[in-house]
Amino acid sequence: MKESFFRSMTWLHTWVGLLVCWLLFLIFFAGTISFFKDEITIWAKPETHHVQHQAQRVQSQAEQINYVFPQLQQQAPNSLSWRINLPEPRNPVLSYGFAEPKQPGQRRAPFNYTHLDPNTLEQIPEPRETKGGNFFYRLHFDLHYIDVFTARIIVCLASLFMLVALITGIVIHKRIFKDMFSFRANKGSRSWLDAHNVSSVLALPFHIMITYTGIITLIFMLFPYPAETVYENGLRQMFDEALPINKRAKPSEEQRPMVAIKDVLDQIYTKSPNADISYVFVRNANTATSQIVVYLATGKEVVDNGPRYLFNGVTGELEASSGEDWSASAQFYDSMTALHSGRLAEPLLRWLYFFCGVAGCAMIATGCIMWAKRLRERLKADQKPSFGLKLVETLNLATLMGLPLATSAFFIANRLLPIELAGRADKEIFVFFLTWLAMLIVAVIGREKRHWRYSAWLNAAACLLVPVVNALTTDGNWITYLLTQQWALFGIDSAFICAGLLFLLQSKKIPSHKTATNKAKLNKNKLLKEQQG
Amino acid sequence: MMELLQFSLCFFGFNCFALAKFNHFRDVFKKKLNEKQRSSFLFSGWISILLSLVLCVLSDAGYGALLFCGYMALSVLMLMILYSFTVSWVKHVSVLTMSVLLLSGFSVMIL
Repeated sequence: MKESFFRSMTWLHTWVGLLVCWLLFLIFFAGTISFFKDEITIWAKPETHHVQHQAQRVQSQAEQINYVFPQLQQQAPNSLSWRINLPEPRNPVLSYGFAEPKQPGQRRAPFNYTHLDPNTLEQIPEPRETKGGNFFYRLHFDLHYIDVFTARIIVCLASLFMLVALITGIVIHKRIFKDMFSFRANKGSRSWLDAHNVSSVLALPFHIMITYTGIITLIFMLFPYPAETVYENGLRQMFDEALPINKRAKPSEEQRPMVAIKDVLDQIYTKSPNADISYVFVRNANTATSQIVVYLATGKEVVDNGPRYLFNGVTGELEASSGEDWSASAQFYDSMTALHSGRLAEPLLRWLYFFCGVAGCAMIATGCIMWAKRLRERLKADQKPSFGLKLVETLNLATLMGLPLATSAFFIANRLLPIELAGRADKEIFVFFLTWLAMLIVAVIGREKRHWRYSAWLNAAACLLVPVVNALTTDGNWITYLLTQQWALFGIDSAFICAGLLFLLQSKKIPSHKTATNKAKLNKNKLLKEQQG
Repeated sequence: MMELLQFSLCFFGFNCFALAKFNHFRDVFKKKLNEKQRSSFLFSGWISILLSLVLCVLSDAGYGALLFCGYMALSVLMLMILYSFTVSWVKHVSVLTMSVLLLSGFSVMIL
C-alpha cells in the first residue's frame, strides 16, 4: 500500500508538472520580473531619469494636488475619469491624466497623461510610448495575444496543477531535511535532481504561498457560481456590497460644479494627519454624479489596498471608506492578494521575493530538463528518440533559453526603436515574441548540447548588451547610476550584468563535442594504464 | 541593524542544523560527530531560528514573517553553496557569522 502510494504520488508529480511546466515557467518568470514592475517602467522611460526624489515627499502632496486639479479642470472638464499619481518612494514622478473616449474594440479608455517634476512642478518631456514593467505584469496572468478571460482560466488551472505538484513533491521527497544542504555536482541526472530539490526546498514556504495566493486572487474566475446564484447581478453586485467604495456612480448628463479639492483634503488630514496619499481618482467630473476617491499608501501592513475614501464630487460629503469596517473574509482576500503581488514590499523584502521567484524558475526548469535527460539516458544505442521526447526537448530549449533572450530583446528594443514610431509600445512587445519565436525555430532545428551552448552565449551577449545600449543611447550608465544613487536603474543594469555572467558560466559548463571527446580519450587512457599496471 | 541581526540569527541557526549532520560535520572538522555535539547543534539551531522569527514578527508583524521566509531561503542557498563547493570556508564563515551576530545584537541593544 505504502509503496503504491509513493509510486502514485511520483507519477502524479511527474505528469502534473510536465504537462504545464513551460506555461508555469512563463508565469513564474514574468511574475518574478513583475516584482520590479515600477523600476522597469522607470528604466524604460529615460526622459524621467533626471527627476530627483523629494526630501519632503508626503508634506508636498497637498500642494501638488491643489496645483494639478485646476489643470485637469482646464484640460478635460467633461472627461469620465481623472487620475493624479503622486510621487512614491519607487517612482519620483508626479503625473496626472484624463480618460479619452473609448474607441470601438478597446477594453479600457486610454489615458492622456502629463508628467511633472514634483520638485519644480514643471512639465518634463513626454516619455516614450512603452508598457515597461506593466507588460511583464500583464503577461504573468493575461498571457498577451489571448482573450483575457480564457488566459486567466488557463493560468488558474496551471496554478492548480502547480499546487498539486508542490504537495506531491513534498510527499515523495523522503530526504527533505537530510539533503537540505546537499548538492552533488557533475553527477549527471543526480545533479539535476539535487538542483531540483534544493531550488524547491530552499524557498518552499514562498512557493506554496505564491501558488496558493495566486489561485486565491483569481478564485472568482474558478468559482463564480456562489456569487452568481446569490446576487442578481453576479460578481459585480457582490463586490459592490462587500466594498461599497467600489460602487461606481453612473455617468450623468446634468452638469454640476465640483467641490473645491481643498475641502476634500482637509477631511483626509483631519482623519489621518500624516496621510501618505498614493493617488486621487475622479469619476464623472463636473456632473451631478461626480465622485472623488483618495487612495492612501499601505505602509507595512499586509494589505493590498490602503485606506480609501470616497467623496461626493459635488457636495464633498464622505460617502464610503474602506479599510476600517471590512469583514474578516474581505480582509483575508485582500491580504492574500497583498502577499501575492508583493506591492507592500520595501527594497529588502522585494529582493527576497525576487530571489525566491528565481528559485521557483530554477525549480521548474530543472524539473523539465530532468525528465528529458532521464528518458534520453534510458534510450538504447540503436534506439531513436520518441516524438514526445523530441517535443519536450524542443520546448525546454525554446522556453528556458528563449524567454530570457526575449526579455533582453524587449529591453534593447526599448532603447533602439525610434521614439516617434507609431504603436511603439506594441512594437516592443512584438520584438519580445519575435525573438521567442526565433528561439523556438532554432529549437525545432536542433536540441543538441551545442544548441544549448550557443543559446547560452547568445543570452550572455544579449544581457551584457542591455547596459551597453543603455549607456550609448541615454545620458546615464551603470557607473553614473551608482554615483548618483539611482538605485532602481543601477539595480536593473546590475541584474542584466549578473545574468550575462551566469549565462557565460553556463556556456562554459556545457561540454562541447571537443571537450567531451578529450575527456573520453583521457578516461580511456587512464583505464588502459590501470589495466597495464 | 535589526535586519542584519535577524538574518545572522537565521543563518547561524541553519548553519547549526547543517553541522548537526554527520556528513557535513565530518567534511568540516575531519572527525566524527558525537551525539552530545549533535544535540547541542540542534538545540542552538532551534533557539537561534526561533529568536530570528520572534524578532521579525515583533518588529514588523506579518511583514516580518514574510521577511523571515526570505531570510530562510537565502540562508539555505548560501549554506548549500558553502557546504557543496567551498567546505573549507565553513569554519571562517561560522566565526564571521557569530561576530556579525554579536555586533548587530549589541548595536540593536545600544541604539
